[in-house]
Amino acid sequence: MSSVKDLERLKAEGMNSLFPSKTKIMVGMATCGQAAGAQEVWQAIHQEVKRRKLDVVVKKTGCIGLCQHEPLLDILKPGYPRITYDRVTPEKVSEVLDGLVKGKFKKSIMARIDHEEFLLDDTRTRYSKDKIPAYITSIVPYNRLPFYKKQKRVALRNCGFIDPENIAEYVAKGGYFSLTQVLRGGKPEKVISQIKRSKLRGRGGAGFLTGVKWEVCRNADGDGKYLICNADEGDPGAYMDRSILEGDPHSIIEGMLIGGFAIGANQGYIYVREEYPLAIERLQSALTQAQEEGLLGENILDSGFDFELEICRGAGAFVCGEETALIQSIEGNWGEPKPRPPFPAVSGLWGKPTVINNVETWANVPVIIAKGANWFNGLGTSRSKGTKVFSLVGKVNNIGLVEVPMGISLREIVYEIGGGIPNGRKFKAVQTGGPSGGCIPKNLIDLPVDFDQLKKAGSIMGSGGMIVMDDRTCMVDVAKYFLTFLEDESCGKCVPCRVGIRRMRELLEDITSGRGREGDIEYLQQMAETIKEGSLCGLGKTAPNPVLTTLHYFRDEYEAHIRGKRCPAGVCKPLITYSINPETCTGCGVCLRVCPQEAISGKKKKPHKITSSKCIKCGACFEVCTFGAIVIT
Amino acid sequence: MVKLTIDDQIVEVPEGTTILEAAEKLNIYIPTLCHHESLTSYGGCRLCVVEITQNGVTDLTSSCTYKVEEGVKVKTTTERVKRVRRLVLELLLAEAPEAQIVQDLAKEMGVTIPERFKPRRDDLCILCGRCIRACRELVGVNAIDFAERGYSKKVAAPFYKSSPDCIACGVCVYICPTGAITMQEVEKGEKARIPEGEEVTGPARIINNWKVGLAMKRCKKCGEVIAPEFQLDYLRKKVNLPEDHFDICLSCRE
Repeated sequence: MSSVKDLERLKAEGMNSLFPSKTKIMVGMATCGQAAGAQEVWQAIHQEVKRRKLDVVVKKTGCIGLCQHEPLLDILKPGYPRITYDRVTPEKVSEVLDGLVKGKFKKSIMARIDHEEFLLDDTRTRYSKDKIPAYITSIVPYNRLPFYKKQKRVALRNCGFIDPENIAEYVAKGGYFSLTQVLRGGKPEKVISQIKRSKLRGRGGAGFLTGVKWEVCRNADGDGKYLICNADEGDPGAYMDRSILEGDPHSIIEGMLIGGFAIGANQGYIYVREEYPLAIERLQSALTQAQEEGLLGENILDSGFDFELEICRGAGAFVCGEETALIQSIEGNWGEPKPRPPFPAVSGLWGKPTVINNVETWANVPVIIAKGANWFNGLGTSRSKGTKVFSLVGKVNNIGLVEVPMGISLREIVYEIGGGIPNGRKFKAVQTGGPSGGCIPKNLIDLPVDFDQLKKAGSIMGSGGMIVMDDRTCMVDVAKYFLTFLEDESCGKCVPCRVGIRRMRELLEDITSGRGREGDIEYLQQMAETIKEGSLCGLGKTAPNPVLTTLHYFRDEYEAHIRGKRCPAGVCKPLITYSINPETCTGCGVCLRVCPQEAISGKKKKPHKITSSKCIKCGACFEVCTFGAIVIT
Repeated sequence: MVKLTIDDQIVEVPEGTTILEAAEKLNIYIPTLCHHESLTSYGGCRLCVVEITQNGVTDLTSSCTYKVEEGVKVKTTTERVKRVRRLVLELLLAEAPEAQIVQDLAKEMGVTIPERFKPRRDDLCILCGRCIRACRELVGVNAIDFAERGYSKKVAAPFYKSSPDCIACGVCVYICPTGAITMQEVEKGEKARIPEGEEVTGPARIINNWKVGLAMKRCKKCGEVIAPEFQLDYLRKKVNLPEDHFDICLSCRE
């Protein structure tokens, strides 16, 4: 393709694919969907469609965010709103198709979508104009579900709406028009100034101003500059980048094309971890399609601008998300960070000026170009503009991927979007920023979430992990868990990180096993602060955060472990005992049957007893007792 | 030339000089372990950290890697700096309590093994990587590298097997600050075993850490031991010398 006209043609093709004249069935086929069984659902649909000789289109789509309800199946019947079935099984597929054939949908619909937002060109497409039955209008629309009400999808604009393997659908949603605009304008400086004015900050962790980084790189001496997309997402429980890669790969490609033009680079790399096979597959197919359409390669859109993009697969080291280690890894070296300066924007890949931004940052770029810096500036807080994607996990009712304007409170995220804490438990803390972030306690629940506020609270934005913890979470145990992860992921180059984290973890091991001593808290604190100061790279500099924040906000729990030799949350096995309250025990025998150690005895309908010498504290009895008779002390 | 201040003294050095080198010019002592003047900087041990102030921002950085910049103010002995150095030495002292240089530096700074640490006594290696860089940068052989990561990190020949590339030159032995690498000269007629390997008969040289034992070449005239044959082959090929170049020792050649 060489002109806007060609792009318009592709857009028309994409619109037909997005809203075909016959019924379309969509299945959420991101990793979260597939883990919940979407592959089986996909096969069942194909079988049923063939068996019933249905004239329908079956399409894949990415993750729409509500991962807890996967597999999700959507039906787009012309003249009807788009309706979503959740937790679909192969058995349920048949019922859904029965309804479709009879023209009467099953009533187990989760939500409906009346119109689809086209963020980039400010249009909305209504699904339905005809008269539709009342039972469908009575279904709650997506944007009124508490989970979606406060969300603003910018980076995730297309995830769950388009087929990620079809470039035409991306174009239909306004994709590659920002690139066209930039190339026709012909002024890289203008692009940089727009990104600068948007005040976009890097979504990968440190929150550096993207436009400033681009400018430094553009002004750096030397030709043969490079662009890198950091897709080495490795935080436990975080999958923001994976979802974009799987659900909307072209948004990253377009962002990088714009960035390449702005800084004067003709070669880019996308560094993805090998553990994301589906993301790599979708990205590869997107690259091939962009190449076939002439959107990658030489003389793109007849502008004279050349750009090549290559996938580089990482072996899965967490430290390779650190930019200097990532660059080493692309160069084929050991994934070890290097001291900065020099910063990559001056001397990066192969010693050339290099801009490295994270997946979510790149996905924001086409939006800023299309809608302008002022629009982007209108979202968020004074120093953190736009939206942020969070991976909301842990002890929360709605587990999933959420995108919210910066500045929204933790309370809104946890209680409104997340739907609160399951099983009537109490909220205790939320860990933001991944393993090297910090735990923010209950009394800071009204904290507005942005780069600066999180930092002030002792945590970090990080790449957007958000782990909710309830009152049955031991904060010393949490700190130990994260340190164990980081000890394992430290590259081992510098002493404070390699040995220091291990020593801290050993101390926590002692404390949670009842071997804690007076002075341990002070020593931990001192060691944590010094490791933060002395380590070489971001991993070591942030690794002590979980310890420091839990020491700051939950010091009493540490003291209880050390002085009282007890774990208030009832988690640390060496410090707890299980017993049965004879007052509430009904003698139903359920606990007796699940105990793997035969440690529970008692006659039917008489209070039972636990023989503590046999008990391995597995907690099986606690989980099954419906009378609250199992007591942890 | 770049002008900067180190501990309130002004110094002017060529562009590209590190803070560590500039401090040396002023006779200001900064302790190091992983640094060696013949090797590229590594920045791993963190002993050489200093406090730098630039554009109103103060931060800690490793002086062996930081290239001087105009107007930078450097402090080499602030409390912050000392805290990091002390921690590094505490950690290393418990890791390699028998390493002389670590003991000396610890003594210098008044550091002892913290009561809470269980010292390990099985290894002198502190993973400074000097041997690896020397083998790569000075000898050009690349016989060894780091293996594994984090606390399991080690220096080793590929797959922990006997190195097929090591020429037993011994540079790694000499450059190791803690004496963690050992070399053994096996005299003529003596027998010795390569770690986890076969028995060799002298004259031979064994580098224990890389599980290498190389036979020595002897002078065709006087029978004196010259050097490991494999090493001489390497040198001969590298500088393109005739095949019989090392057949005769230097004294017999005169």
